[in-house]
Amino acid sequence: MAEPSPAGHFHPEDAPGYESILQCMRCGFCLAVCPTYALTNRERSSPRGRAALARAVAEGKLEFTPAVRDESFLCLDCKACSTACPSGVRVGTIMEFCRSQAQVFHPPSLPAGMLRDFILKRMLPSPALMENSMLPARLYQRLGIQWAVRSLGINRFLPGALAKMEGILPKLATPLRLEIPELIPALGKKRGRVGFFLGCAMSLVFPEVSRQTARILSQQGFDVVTPKEVKCCGAPHLAEGDRETARRLARINIDLFLALEVDFIVTDCAGCGCALKEYEELLEETADHERIGRFKAKVRDISEFLAETGIRTEDLRPVPLSVTYHEPCHLVHGQGLSVPPRQVIRAIPGVELREMKESNWCCGMAGSFALKELETSRRILERKLGHVRATGADALVTANPGCHLQLAWGVRELGMKQPVLHIVELLGKALPQ
Amino acid sequence: MLKKTVIDHLRQKVGAGNVYHEKEDLLVYGYDATPEITGFPDVAVFPENREGLRAALEVGREEGLAVTPRGAATGLSGGSTPFRGGMALGLTRMNRILEIDEENLTLTAEAGVITIDLFNAAAAKGLFYPPDPGSQNVSTLGGNVAENAGGLRGLKYGVTRNYVMALSGFLYDGTEFHAGNKCVKDVAGYSLRDLLVGSEGTLGIITEVTVRLINPPQDKRTLLAYFKDIRTAGDAVSKIIAARIIPATLEIMDRTTINCVEDYAGIGLPRDMGALLLIEVDGHPAVVAEEAAGVQKILEEVRADVIRQAANTQEALQLAAARRTALSAVARVSPTTILEDTTVPRSRLAETFAEIERLREKYGLRVATFGHAGDGNLHPTAVTDERNREEVARVHAFFSDLYEKVLSMGGTVSGEHGIGIAKKGYLLRQFGEGGMEVMRRIKKSFDPDGGLNPGKIFLDEGVSAGVKIPGGTHG
Ligand SMILES: Cc1cc2nc3c(=O)[nH]c(=O)nc-3n(C[C@H](O)[C@H](O)[C@H](O)COP(=O)(O)OP(=O)(O)OC[C@H]3O[C@@H](n4cnc5c(N)ncnc54)[C@H](O)[C@@H]3O)c2cc1C
Ligand code: SF4
Ligand code: SF4
Repeated sequence: MAEPSPAGHFHPEDAPGYESILQCMRCGFCLAVCPTYALTNRERSSPRGRAALARAVAEGKLEFTPAVRDESFLCLDCKACSTACPSGVRVGTIMEFCRSQAQVFHPPSLPAGMLRDFILKRMLPSPALMENSMLPARLYQRLGIQWAVRSLGINRFLPGALAKMEGILPKLATPLRLEIPELIPALGKKRGRVGFFLGCAMSLVFPEVSRQTARILSQQGFDVVTPKEVKCCGAPHLAEGDRETARRLARINIDLFLALEVDFIVTDCAGCGCALKEYEELLEETADHERIGRFKAKVRDISEFLAETGIRTEDLRPVPLSVTYHEPCHLVHGQGLSVPPRQVIRAIPGVELREMKESNWCCGMAGSFALKELETSRRILERKLGHVRATGADALVTANPGCHLQLAWGVRELGMKQPVLHIVELLGKALPQ
Repeated sequence: MLKKTVIDHLRQKVGAGNVYHEKEDLLVYGYDATPEITGFPDVAVFPENREGLRAALEVGREEGLAVTPRGAATGLSGGSTPFRGGMALGLTRMNRILEIDEENLTLTAEAGVITIDLFNAAAAKGLFYPPDPGSQNVSTLGGNVAENAGGLRGLKYGVTRNYVMALSGFLYDGTEFHAGNKCVKDVAGYSLRDLLVGSEGTLGIITEVTVRLINPPQDKRTLLAYFKDIRTAGDAVSKIIAARIIPATLEIMDRTTINCVEDYAGIGLPRDMGALLLIEVDGHPAVVAEEAAGVQKILEEVRADVIRQAANTQEALQLAAARRTALSAVARVSPTTILEDTTVPRSRLAETFAEIERLREKYGLRVATFGHAGDGNLHPTAVTDERNREEVARVHAFFSDLYEKVLSMGGTVSGEHGIGIAKKGYLLRQFGEGGMEVMRRIKKSFDPDGGLNPGKIFLDEGVSAGVKIPGGTHG
């Protein structure tokens, strides 16, 4: 992919590969699935348009203008276009590169830049710092808001963004990372040993969900090893265009998990899983492909893992619930996992799965998008919740912390009845006490 | 660059959010799905209704702008590229379905409606709109009408023209036209409707279309046949037609196409086979059974290497969907895919395959071939890299030779993608000066100012520096 071709008006460092851009033959198949195009009907906010902008920059026909930067950030990186594209173009990834270019061509103002650096380079890479008493939860939330608002220059949305940020985050409990035992032994007949990749958002915001994940893995017969030294997967860094820190974190995580000598590396965060599986690409320049390949071969999303190893259903208790399933972009489009989550849901006795329309359409969260593009995000969310409502299901199931926050917020805002559950929470209900 | 006052004027008339003039927008309204061809408009306008469109046209005229209608820009001959700059006139914000008339079995919609949305709206009433171009999930009805698009069901059900009952819209000079109606029979005056269908946006701008709907087939069956040698597949097609069996779908993919599609779709297509036929028969259950048996018999006679039936509707749908991705999937192999649209009388298919193979070797190219075999409509697609000018020149020589042969067999240079910019030279070869002169007069009578979609179809119009007209040297 990354052939040494002139980068045109891109900065040569971390420029999107020209070949990967040229691969777009402009058939337009992706137009039908792109949430931002559906909202705007504006070609430049479509995958085909974004690829063409990148191509124009690469060919020196267009500077890296503010409009190019804006399009790269308006893109949800939901990767729906990658699934739809028969030619194998990945516009979301090209846009990730453009976000990193944006830091070069349109750096944030000084204080905002420092804040962004602090969050991306110091706070996120260091779980301890995030969890430290010096940074109590509320301050962390504040920082998050200010970062979103200031570093990304969206002052006109200020009151709305603040309100949503406050509204969207649940009360934070003790981070799971501090409490979870380093080893949880397998129950029943042992089937193997897995490393649990506990993501930041899961540990901080959804500790109870990840507690279920560990419990399920153990109940299913796996030793669960959760290393405390785990780092952020790097997804937020890629999303904000800080590829350098992302690479640093990736190297640390690879070393850490390979040393554990586990059969699999399992995560319950679709975003983390997607990032882990893309380490190979992120570290393309590195020589150590054998080790990275070995790491990648072990990574599984929790549903993928359960479907692949086969769920032991003997002891499961019936859960009399009708549910509908929202597919996280980073699961369905990022990892191509559409069937396994449904297999897991169907394996739970008593559960009725009611498919919603457009289950694989983005919910509008997309990292910090939901805070930066409030109005767009809200409209995408409403489209989603309309389909949820139409199913009349008792509960809404998903498998990613970002979607979870956004959907739960939307459900509350619209006064809908459905609680939002992570797929492991649903399965957790079926486990023997 | 347009004067700011003109932009302001447009915004006022059409709505501020419907007018684009920034470079980043204009760049992406310059292309369609045709390789090597791009234009660059001065402004892009997306009216939301007829009034807005009329006003935009008026401003265009006052400013002497060329106006190029644009649907979803999935065209494969460069038709919607604003070749002479001016105004790109987008129809995608006029996309309402206006009426489904269940008494007369018609549907009326604005031109920007997406083909699949029209299909689904009809299906919701238990009715059927057959034209289904590969691009149906994105293409617009107006674009389909303007190109007279075909599709996978063309063999039995015909092409877009067979379903268009009425059209309305505007000429460049602002004249409003209404052509056709809901009557099954209508011989009043010249058939303006039929002139406009397939006119590639050079005669008038279509704003509304009334199409005919039919009853959906009660039953269908999908067969797959694999062949080691593509010529045998060609033979099978000719024999099926000669046996007077008319399947709804009779599609072909060659080895390269099979492999590319399989890379994308992963549905278990046979990677080692020379060709595949996808055949669907539909209609009354008794007829379906009879035709399926007839097809099966012919496939056995020509010794297809594998014959099988789709297990269920889901698999059948999956196969058709996979076939629709063929062109884009082939683009995986190499950055540029130059595809053609050769169509021959169906008895000459096997010969055409042999000629494609001979020329491919002669010019040392990689070519993937797929298409609507039952219609005699093939899309030999050269996989190349537009940066490699030498190879691209060979590609054009390859197609030039191929068209020579196709024309000598009584074929046509375009079965469904139109002439646009890409095939201007070939059209002259097919029609000669006389035919072109008649067409020129027709164009003049609709658009005496030459303001609508200039530079398309006619070779002498707009051969500008830097644009290579394939085939232009021979004519
Ligand atoms: C992957 C792929 C598969 C395809 N498969 C098929 C196929 O199976 N069969 C087939 O026939 N074609 C096929 N096509 C070609 C293309 O999709 C069709 O020609 C389609 O009809 C174009 O529709 P559009 O809305 O994209 O029009 P555009 O490409 O935007 O425009 C096409 C032409 O129509 C004119 N036009 C558009 N709207 C109007 C209007 N309202 N009034 C007047 N003129 C107008 C434009 O000026 C232009 O000349 C395929 C294309 C792709 C990329
Ligand atoms: S990104 Fe893929 S689907 Fe979209 S226009 Fe390009 S080739 Fe087609
Ligand atoms: S990643 Fe999502 S938002 Fe971005 S271009 Fe692709 S489909 Fe559109």
